[in-house]
Amino acid sequence: MMYYQYIIDYYNEFPFLVRLIWIISGILFSIIVLLTIYLKLVRSFLRRKDKEIAKFKDDYEASLIEYLYSGNEQEELSEVQKSIILKLKEEVPFKSKRKIIISILYNLMNEVSGEMSDSIKILYYETGLIDYAISRLSNKNWYIIAKGIGELTRFKIDETHDKVAKFINHPRSEVRKGTQLYLVNMFRFEGLKFLNTLSAPLSEWHQVQLLETLQKFDDQQICDIKPWLKSTNDTVVSFAIKLAQIYNQFEVKDVLIELLSHKAKEIRVSVIEVLTHLYGVEAKDMLKANFNELSLDEQISFFALLEKLVIPTDEPFVEKHLFHKNFEIQLLALNILKSINIDKYMGLTNLPKDEKSPAMLKLVNTI
Amino acid sequence: MDTSTVNIILQFLHYMFFVYACSAILSYIILSVISGKETIEYLKKNSFVNYKDILSSTMAPSITIIAPAYNESLNVVENVRSLLSNHYVNYSVIIVNDGSKDDSLEKLIEAYDLEKVDYIVNEKIKTKPLRGGVFKSKNPAFEKLMVVDKENGGKADALNTGLNISKTKYVACIDVDCLLLEDALQKMIKPFLEVTDAKVIAAGGVIRIANSCIIRGGKLIDVNLPKNLLVQSQILEYLRAFLLGRMAWSRLNGLLVISGAFGIFDKKIAIEVGGYDTNTVGEDMEIVVRMRRYMEEKNEKYRVSYIPDPLCWTEAPDSYKIFISQRNRWTRGTIETLRKHRKIGFNRNYGSFGLISYPYWLLFERMAPIIETVGILYFVILIILKQVRWEYALSFLVLAYLFSVVFSIVALYSEELTFHQYKKKGTGYKLVLLSALEPFVLHPFILYAAIRGNFDYYFNKKKKWGEMVRKGMSTAEV
Repeated sequence: MMYYQYIIDYYNEFPFLVRLIWIISGILFSIIVLLTIYLKLVRSFLRRKDKEIAKFKDDYEASLIEYLYSGNEQEELSEVQKSIILKLKEEVPFKSKRKIIISILYNLMNEVSGEMSDSIKILYYETGLIDYAISRLSNKNWYIIAKGIGELTRFKIDETHDKVAKFINHPRSEVRKGTQLYLVNMFRFEGLKFLNTLSAPLSEWHQVQLLETLQKFDDQQICDIKPWLKSTNDTVVSFAIKLAQIYNQFEVKDVLIELLSHKAKEIRVSVIEVLTHLYGVEAKDMLKANFNELSLDEQISFFALLEKLVIPTDEPFVEKHLFHKNFEIQLLALNILKSINIDKYMGLTNLPKDEKSPAMLKLVNTI
Repeated sequence: MDTSTVNIILQFLHYMFFVYACSAILSYIILSVISGKETIEYLKKNSFVNYKDILSSTMAPSITIIAPAYNESLNVVENVRSLLSNHYVNYSVIIVNDGSKDDSLEKLIEAYDLEKVDYIVNEKIKTKPLRGGVFKSKNPAFEKLMVVDKENGGKADALNTGLNISKTKYVACIDVDCLLLEDALQKMIKPFLEVTDAKVIAAGGVIRIANSCIIRGGKLIDVNLPKNLLVQSQILEYLRAFLLGRMAWSRLNGLLVISGAFGIFDKKIAIEVGGYDTNTVGEDMEIVVRMRRYMEEKNEKYRVSYIPDPLCWTEAPDSYKIFISQRNRWTRGTIETLRKHRKIGFNRNYGSFGLISYPYWLLFERMAPIIETVGILYFVILIILKQVRWEYALSFLVLAYLFSVVFSIVALYSEELTFHQYKKKGTGYKLVLLSALEPFVLHPFILYAAIRGNFDYYFNKKKKWGEMVRKGMSTAEV
C-alpha cells in the first residue's frame, strides 16, 4: 500500500505534460491489450468460419449435384429433388450459408446448360433465394443493391426487369453498370437502349463486359447502331465502333467515314482501324489527301489500312513516306512497297547511309 | 556562447524534435484513417466485380510482362513458368537477360525450346546493344514467351529494352523472381480501363513476402510465417507500408512509388518520358515521379492507382548484411529521385503532388533517419552534459514505443479483416509479439542502412546496386 502511495505521490510531482503523456501511454497500453485479445477472437472466428464454409461447401455441392442428376422426364421435380429443395430451404435464411449455396449454384450454372440450367433456376425459385436477391434491391446501401442486381443477372431472372430497370440512373456508377449489364443479359441488343440517352461515360472495362455478354448469344442479329455512332457521348461512339467491327457492320461505313473528322483523336484512330477491317477503300483517298494534317497515331493507322488495301497507284505516295520520321510508318511503308514490287525495293540497301536509319538498313537486310 | 544562448539553442532543438515527432505521429494517424476508408470502399466495389469476362475477352487490352534477369540461373526456369501460367488471355512475356554471366540463357533455351529469331528493335529509348539476340520458342505452348539477350546495363536498361521491344499498350514491369498470382493481371489492369475522368498512367500492387511459403509449379500453395526474425519483421513492415501507407496515398492520388517488383504502366507515357533512368538505383520511384511530373506539366488529369490484393510474392533478405545493402540502395534511390525532381517540392504548380506528396516524402522518408540520428546524438550529448530531464525523456520514449506497437497492430487488423493470409493457429500471437519486438530487431538496422545510404550517396558515388543473394522461393518450401 505504501509502495502504491509512493508511486501516486511521485507521479503527482511530475509536470502536467509528463502526467498527460503517462495517461496517454496507459491508454495505449490498454488498447494494445484489448486489441491483442480481440485479435485472438477475430482470428479464431475467421478460422472457424473458414472450416465451416469448407464443410458446408462439400455438403451443399454433393446435395446440389445429386439434385441435378436426380431429375426425371415425367415430372418437373422428382421426390429426391423436392427433398433436397426442402433441406436447402431451411439453410437459406442464414446469410453465410446462403452465400455458399449461391456461389456453388453459380459455378454449376456456368458448367451446365439446357435442362440442367433450367433445374438450377427452379431450385433458385423454390428455395426462396430469389426473394433474398429481390429484397436486396430495396436496401439503402448501394453495394448491396449492386450485389442483388449482379445475382439476378447471373441467374438470368428476367421477371425482375421493372424492379431492376429503375436503377438505370442511380447516382452510383456501380449500380448503373450492374443495371446495364442486367438489361443486356436479359434482352441482348434491346437491352442496349440505354445508350440512346446515356450521358455518363462508358468505361473501357464496362464496354468489354457488355461486348462479352452480347457475344455469348447465338443470335448475332444486331440492331441499328447508327444513332450510337452519332452520339454526343464519345464513349458511346467508341462502343458503337467496336460493335461495328465485331459484327462486321458494312452498312454503317458512310457514318464511319463521317467520323474521320470527329473531334476526338482516339475515335478517329479507331475508325481508321475499323475501316481497315471493313475494307473501307472509300476512306483511303480522303485520308491520303489529308495525310499531313493527321496526327501521328492516325498516320500510323492509315498506313496499316494501306497495307491491307493498297493498289499499285499508291506506290508514289507510300514511297514519299518511306523515310518518315516514325519507325512504325517506315516499317509499314516498306512492307507495302514490298507487296507492290519486291524486286525494286530489295535494292534499298544500296542507298547512301544518310538516307535511311540504321534500323531501316537492318530491316532491309533481313527481307 | 553564454548560457542563455545555449539555452535558446537547446529550447529550439527540443521544440523542433517535439513538433517533428508530433507531425509524424499525426500523419500516421491520418494515413491510417484514410487507408481504412479506402480499403472498405475497395472491398465494397470489388465484392461483385466479374473478372471472368475480362479474362477471356479478346477485346481486353494486351499486356507485356517485362522481367529483367541477371544471374538468375538458379530459379529462372521455374520463375518463367510461373509468369506463363497467368489466367489473362491477352498477354506476353519478355525476359531480358541482362548480360548474365551464368547459364541463365542456356537453361531458358533448353527448357523452353528457344530459337534465335530476326527481330528489329525500334530503339525509342537508348539501351545497351543486344548480345545473343532475340529468342522465341519453337513450341506453340510457349508462344507468349520471348527472351532477349543483351549486354549488361543494369535493371533500368533491361526494362528499357523491354519497353522498346514490347508492342502492347500496357507493360507490367516485374522482378523475374517474383511470383505473380494467376489473377494478378486482370486485377491490375482494371483501373486503367475503369477510370474515365482521368488517365491512369501506372498501377502498383502489394508486395508480399514469400520466404517459407509453399510454392509448387509456379503457384502459391500455402502461406507460412517464416522462422527467421528478420524476415518476420519485414512481413510486419510490409503490411504497415502497403496496407496502411500506400493505400492512403492511393486515395489521395499521391503515390510516388510503385514497387519495382510489380507495376503496370501506360507504355506510351513511359516512353514519352524517356523510360527508366539508368543513372539511379531507385529507378522504380524515379519513373513514377517523372511520369507524374510530365502529366502535371502537360496539365492533364491523371492517376497512379494501387491494388491492395496480395498479387505478387517475393523473397525478402534473410540476413542482416543483405538487408542493410537493400535498404542502403532504397535510401540512395529516394535521395536521387527527390534531388532530381526538387523543382516539384513545395511548388503550387504541381498541385497536391508538389504540396503534399513531395513534402511528405522529403520530411518523413528522406529526412526521418537523419533527424532520428541527430536526435540520438543530441540525447547522448545531453546525457554527457547531465542535461536530461529523465521524467520527460522516459515518458516520451514509452509513448513513442507504444504508439509504434499500436500502429503495427492496426496494420495486423487491416490484414486480418481483409485478405487474411496468415491463417495458421498461433501466427496471430507471433505477429503481435513481433509488433512489440520490431522496434528493436528491425528498426535500428533500417536506421543504420539509411545513414549508410546517405553516406554512400554523398561520399561513395561509385556504389551502385548491392548484391541480393537468392536462395530461391521454390527451395524455401516447408
